[in-house]
Amino acid sequence: MTPLNRLLDQFLPAHEHSAARRFLVSGAVWFCAGTLWGLIGAMHLAAPDFFRGIPWLEFGRIRPAHTTIVLLGFVTSALIGATLYILPVVLRTKLYGERVANLGMWVWNLAMLSGCISLPLGYTQGREYAELVFPIDCLVVIAFLCLTYSLVMTVATRHENVLYVSVWYGLGGVLWTAVLWVPGNVMWRPPGGAMIGIVDAVWLWWYGHNIFGLATTPMAVAVAYYIIPRIARKPLYSHTLSLIGFWTLLALYTHIGAHHLLQAPVPTWLKTVSVIDSVAMVVPVATVLVNLWLTMRGALREFADSWPGKLIFAGSIWYLITCIQGPLQSLPSVQRHTHFNNWVIGHAHIAVLGFAGMTALGGLWYVLPLVARRKVYSQPLIGLQYWLVLIGVAGFFVVLTAAGLIQGEVWNNGGTVYRTLPMIAPYLMARAMFGMLIIGGAFIGLYNVVMTLVRGEPHES
Amino acid sequence: MTPAVVIIGSMALFWAAFLGVVVIPTVTMPDRPSDTWRATSAAEERGRRLYIADGCVYCHSQYVRPQDWAEGAQRIARAGDYARQQPPLLGSERTGPDLSQQGGEHPDDWHRAHFTNPRHTSPASVMPSFSFRSAAQIADLTRYVQSLGGKDADLRVARQQHWKGLAVAAYANGPDANVAWIHSKVPEVWRKMPNPYPATEASLARGQRIYELYCVGCHGPSGDGRGTAQPYLDPPPLNFALLRRNLIEGKYIGGVLYYQIMNGITGTAMPYFKTQLESAKIWDVSNYVAYNFIGYVDYPLRTDQIDAAYENAEPPPPKGFVKDQP
Ligand code: HEC
Ligand code: HEC
Ligand code: HEM
Ligand code: HEM
Repeated sequence: MTPLNRLLDQFLPAHEHSAARRFLVSGAVWFCAGTLWGLIGAMHLAAPDFFRGIPWLEFGRIRPAHTTIVLLGFVTSALIGATLYILPVVLRTKLYGERVANLGMWVWNLAMLSGCISLPLGYTQGREYAELVFPIDCLVVIAFLCLTYSLVMTVATRHENVLYVSVWYGLGGVLWTAVLWVPGNVMWRPPGGAMIGIVDAVWLWWYGHNIFGLATTPMAVAVAYYIIPRIARKPLYSHTLSLIGFWTLLALYTHIGAHHLLQAPVPTWLKTVSVIDSVAMVVPVATVLVNLWLTMRGALREFADSWPGKLIFAGSIWYLITCIQGPLQSLPSVQRHTHFNNWVIGHAHIAVLGFAGMTALGGLWYVLPLVARRKVYSQPLIGLQYWLVLIGVAGFFVVLTAAGLIQGEVWNNGGTVYRTLPMIAPYLMARAMFGMLIIGGAFIGLYNVVMTLVRGEPHES
Repeated sequence: MTPAVVIIGSMALFWAAFLGVVVIPTVTMPDRPSDTWRATSAAEERGRRLYIADGCVYCHSQYVRPQDWAEGAQRIARAGDYARQQPPLLGSERTGPDLSQQGGEHPDDWHRAHFTNPRHTSPASVMPSFSFRSAAQIADLTRYVQSLGGKDADLRVARQQHWKGLAVAAYANGPDANVAWIHSKVPEVWRKMPNPYPATEASLARGQRIYELYCVGCHGPSGDGRGTAQPYLDPPPLNFALLRRNLIEGKYIGGVLYYQIMNGITGTAMPYFKTQLESAKIWDVSNYVAYNFIGYVDYPLRTDQIDAAYENAEPPPPKGFVKDQP
């Protein structure tokens, strides 16, 4: 073996599950980093002079670092890791191009690391969720193209004729993200990376909502669709419901970006389409949840005994809450009270952390022992993480919603923004405290992952 | 479903949506400037870039909605206000106030103090300090926020600059001449109006809270004008003790205080509080300033005009001051 070959084997190994395992570990690491940025932001809002004079800890710089790293680094990495295991299994084959998937993993982590550093240094495009600068955008697209290639070829070389629903969502998730990123970041116009004039807002929020609807949600749903029947030891309740859920998600989610702009000067017809389709989103959500929960029926004991099962179940409950709240806050009469304030921050956390994040953690703990061929180091530590994250995110939901309602009502009655600051101060303090629980969960999880890899009891699966 | 159905079907829906809700708006929404729009200068563009780099957009929106009474609902945002902007900085959170009409709301020296540390001018602010930015960068940032609002903002900025010259000149004439000058701008009826409400303990307690939330950074804890913002401001915040020897006709001050707090003093850092404080609160903080820092309360010189005072309330005994009553 030449040294080059050895290096290749080290960094782009071809052995089974290596990419999946590394994506899961990446997710666990970025969970810690991303929530730490979040805590700095929360501390800033509670005690603004705490980090005074340190440019790279200034609120406006660490906020995009927080959102990017938790959303992409943590949730997306962990979901990809689980997907890279699940798809080959249900297709009864091996992942095609393990080396390519590993390449994607490195490029992806390089993108996350660059973002984690460049955003606090002030390199940003200034568009929410599209902050990463052009070179990092290129890395993201390359990573997703690698994954798409690997998964498409896995499907092409499968031994199972029928495509299980997880395959649709998993394959779709990476493919759609790869194609969404380019128009979303207006990548043909570096370095600004934006359209000109008010129409940029239409582009931005079409992308901004799709990144949750076409990247995060499908991958989370793919994981839930696989793990819930496995833990329940039952076949999926209904194929028809899966079909309805999949196609309505695609047909509706892609039209609702303008519900972020209901009060901005963009065309009314666009807002109308977005409101109608937002309300109709009840259909894909309900079909997925009914399908999953009816699969679980009669098997609750299995879920009570399984931490991954509980995490995924909790994720599905948050999905329900998010998607009851979502259509409601898409109604102009409701959004009058909730837009621009902490209500939306509450929605964002129950969605991305409660639903997608807890589902990703469920996927991580279900898949990690299978791809590492070692038992989880400590089941009670998963339990501890579960409770810390669950209490933390529930706390976020309560205090942020309360703060948001206060802000909304004061503003609608002629009060100034400045006047609401002392009113919401206690809630922002409470948010920082609940955040510490979540961060505790993140670090305990990372410890458990590392110990599983080095100390976990080996097993053959 | 076959892989081809999943891939081709989903791509078809995806790009159809793109065509419908992205391409069609792009084609049908002209980038046409609105009536108040104007091009930005080089300094303003540099400031805009700093605005993006430091993430001001995560706390400040740049569009006013009809229900935003307190945020300048005089002008509701229009599509043409964002012409040529790449990207427009609409924002999705309002941790701080909307900035789309910010130009000319405050003079430059206010911004200098505020960007250095927002707590200087706004004690309860959670805005970050931008003291890590150089003086030149803060100047660029100031040019940018002063340009927000386009041509309307230019009018306000010009007004600030006009009065700034006069205020600085008046200050150079010495403290008493300066007070005479700022009082000369207060209409007669307000100058000869006493505070209609007595400086009761309750009123003073409310006034203290308001003073600490809004005024202390400039006028200072003892009302001598030496708050933490003072080094940045020209003219500096008023030392209220000066007013003791500058009462109107030797007896009135309540109406002057009210008028000035309500409307601010254009060209100086003294902001208006008409959107922040209701009428009764302004009278309360006037009482607090008069009682504690001037050492003179003019209630009840005339109660004939406003009949809403709490009749039986007696002012508390003075704290070390001789309270003059006619
Ligand atoms: C953490 C959120 C936050 C960030 C980030 C932030 N601000 Fe603020 N800003 C506020 C708050 C809160 C206020 C209201 C209190 C005050 O006057 O400081 C405010 C007030 C202002 C005002 C005065 C508005 C008025 O009408 O009196 C201006 C101008 C301003 N900010 C500009 C900026 C600029 C420029 C940046 C970026 C360099 C920025 N802000 C970043 C929160 C923020
Ligand atoms: C950003 C700094 C700043 C803040 C905040 C501020 N002031 Fe002032 N104020 C000034 C300055 C500067 C002047 C004097 C201008 C001059 O001398 O031309 C002034 C003048 C005044 C005057 C004029 C007195 C007179 O006799 O005409 C009153 C009254 C006053 N301030 C009260 C208040 C109160 C009450 C508050 C809080 C609600 C407050 N100020 C907040 C800066 C400030
Ligand atoms: C039925 C489905 C949903 C609907 C109708 C919906 C609706 C909305 C609306 C209307 C807003 C904007 C609120 C405002 O700015 O006033 C919003 C914001 C948001 N949503 Fe949802 N939502 C749904 C599901 C989800 C899901 C599943 C996720 C995540 C996986 C999610 C993540 C977010 C995030 C992160 C924001 C904040 C965006 C910002 O930064 O302003 N939503 N949602
Ligand atoms: C993995 C877990 C987390 C996820 C997925 C997550 C996700 C997000 C998202 C999507 C936003 C943008 C919200 C919006 O614009 O509407 C956001 C904002 C924020 N998050 Fe988190 N978050 C997580 C954990 C935390 C923790 C632990 C803390 C604090 C300790 C925190 C503090 C914040 C703060 C301060 C903001 C900015 C809110 C503002 O602008 O006012 N987050 N987060």
